[in-house]
Amino acid sequence: MPVYERGYTHWQPSGRRARPAWLVIARRGIVEPLRRRWLFLLILAAWVPAIFKGGIIYAKLKAGNILDLMGGGWTSIEPEGFLRFLEGQRFFVFVLLAITGAGLIATDRRENGMSLYFSRPLGLVDYIGGKALTVVFFYCLVTLLPVCALCVFAYLISPGAVGAELLLGTPLRALVYCLLAGTSTSLVLLAFSSLGTRSIFVMVWWTLLVTGTDAVGGIAEGLLHKGGIQVVNFLGQYHNAASLLFASPRRLAGVSPWVSLAVVTAWTALALWVLRRRIRPVEVVS
Amino acid sequence: MSSLTFAYLAEPVLKGVDFALQKGAIGLLGPNGSGKTTLLRCLLGQVPLGRGHVEVLGWDMATRARAARAGLGWMPERGGVIPGMSGVGLVAYMGELSGLPSRDAMQRAHEVLHYVGLADERYRSCQDYSQGMKQRLKLAQALVHDPEWLFLDEPTSGLDPRGRVSVLELIRDLAWNKGLGVILSTHLLADVEAVCHEILVLRAGELLARQAVDGHTRQARQVFEVEGFGNEESFIAGLRDLGCEFEQDGRLLLVTLDLSRMPEARRETGFDATAGVTAILEVAAARDYALRRLRRRPVSLAEEFYRMVEA
Repeated sequence: MPVYERGYTHWQPSGRRARPAWLVIARRGIVEPLRRRWLFLLILAAWVPAIFKGGIIYAKLKAGNILDLMGGGWTSIEPEGFLRFLEGQRFFVFVLLAITGAGLIATDRRENGMSLYFSRPLGLVDYIGGKALTVVFFYCLVTLLPVCALCVFAYLISPGAVGAELLLGTPLRALVYCLLAGTSTSLVLLAFSSLGTRSIFVMVWWTLLVTGTDAVGGIAEGLLHKGGIQVVNFLGQYHNAASLLFASPRRLAGVSPWVSLAVVTAWTALALWVLRRRIRPVEVVS
Repeated sequence: MSSLTFAYLAEPVLKGVDFALQKGAIGLLGPNGSGKTTLLRCLLGQVPLGRGHVEVLGWDMATRARAARAGLGWMPERGGVIPGMSGVGLVAYMGELSGLPSRDAMQRAHEVLHYVGLADERYRSCQDYSQGMKQRLKLAQALVHDPEWLFLDEPTSGLDPRGRVSVLELIRDLAWNKGLGVILSTHLLADVEAVCHEILVLRAGELLARQAVDGHTRQARQVFEVEGFGNEESFIAGLRDLGCEFEQDGRLLLVTLDLSRMPEARRETGFDATAGVTAILEVAAARDYALRRLRRRPVSLAEEFYRMVEA
């Protein structure tokens, strides 16, 4: 019977498998922003450095070490080179996450969406997990995915000796780093999102956190000549801690990677605490 | 629900609320701030329960609220329309979150949107919907997973009279013909009279009364309009012997009769006002008073509600 001839009918289960709630939330969070064309352009722009690096790697492997002078460590196909590439993606990570993540919880709070979500059979972990997965997806789209693509590309054009590291070691390091850093960053962004109801304010706070702490760290270091002050640099801590994973000698001046790891853990714990307190189906107004 | 007590920030909102409901159309009435929405949120397991015990569809809401919610539909009063989605997208999304497979959710979304009268508007962005369409959309998302109970918080809020009637018709159809349990929280008594067969009255967080919607017509205290000529003083004295109270309303004499004093008026479902009519006729005949008019004054649900709340 066609739909337009029916009244209300009871649902007959079809026997198909339902997706878990966190996956449904993440899928929607990913698909909705991708409908905007300009976001596609931004993602494409975020891949330009990877294409450039790929070109340099190609030229280097074909033309020899002459090109080392051109790109320095950035063109290296050692793990260090890929860490530097990830550091270079910082700007795109910052912008893309601000656009796709700022409104994830703020909009739900503004439109009383929490009440809808938590009238369904899902819990706090599903909700936060789904939203965080959305942010992690966009994070990995401009970090992990280009690294893996570059590794495969470099492997295909390089002599066999470096193959194992390129095909396994570096992608694995990048995977671990991107998942951990992406999850932590996404939780911090979501915590900001849960504090407001307007995406624009969340973006302002996010900008202050990322660029503000970077600037404050740099200025204070320049004025006080103390490297340890860089511990306030938000995104810098992730790259500093990653130097352990990528066995890189490049570190933030005066800040141990272990301290950075502790700072990152503290940020993540704080974000989780905020999310736990802020995400409720009911607004309690004192 | 037994002895439920709930407080926001130490401010008690529900105090010892105690009831059990069978499927049907239940009206939840009460003045603003009486705890209606909070009671619904307790039934949904959206707030941590204080003292007391809440069980919905056989699930303990303190520990198994998620399982119970699969069988519950919720239509909030405020907001509840996520921007950036089409009507059908939102309803299907909510269906998937309720545990429906993706394809089933989309199919159900089309069905329920057609049922609530939004078939032609389903692909439009729900941000652009009118208030009436948003209310229907919220009803559709509450129905998409075919719940056993629907909790509706002020479903006709902000609707024009025509929109209100059509939403009430849908709710009535769901409750009376489709076998869904409905709890309708509202302060519009006419909505309750149109849809529900039972009401719960809350005041300041306490369950003040529970009765059938037409229960006030079977209550012990009945008011009669009397007009006649003859020996009025003797007639009034006779009625006073029956324990009546009097009030003059222009030419009419309003006689309030307490039927609980008359064993012959007592019935299983309440009190039968015809016994009161017979008693008044007998007094009039005995006291030589010719009645020109004798009629039971209908008590509206609104009058009864205000009497209860203000008592």
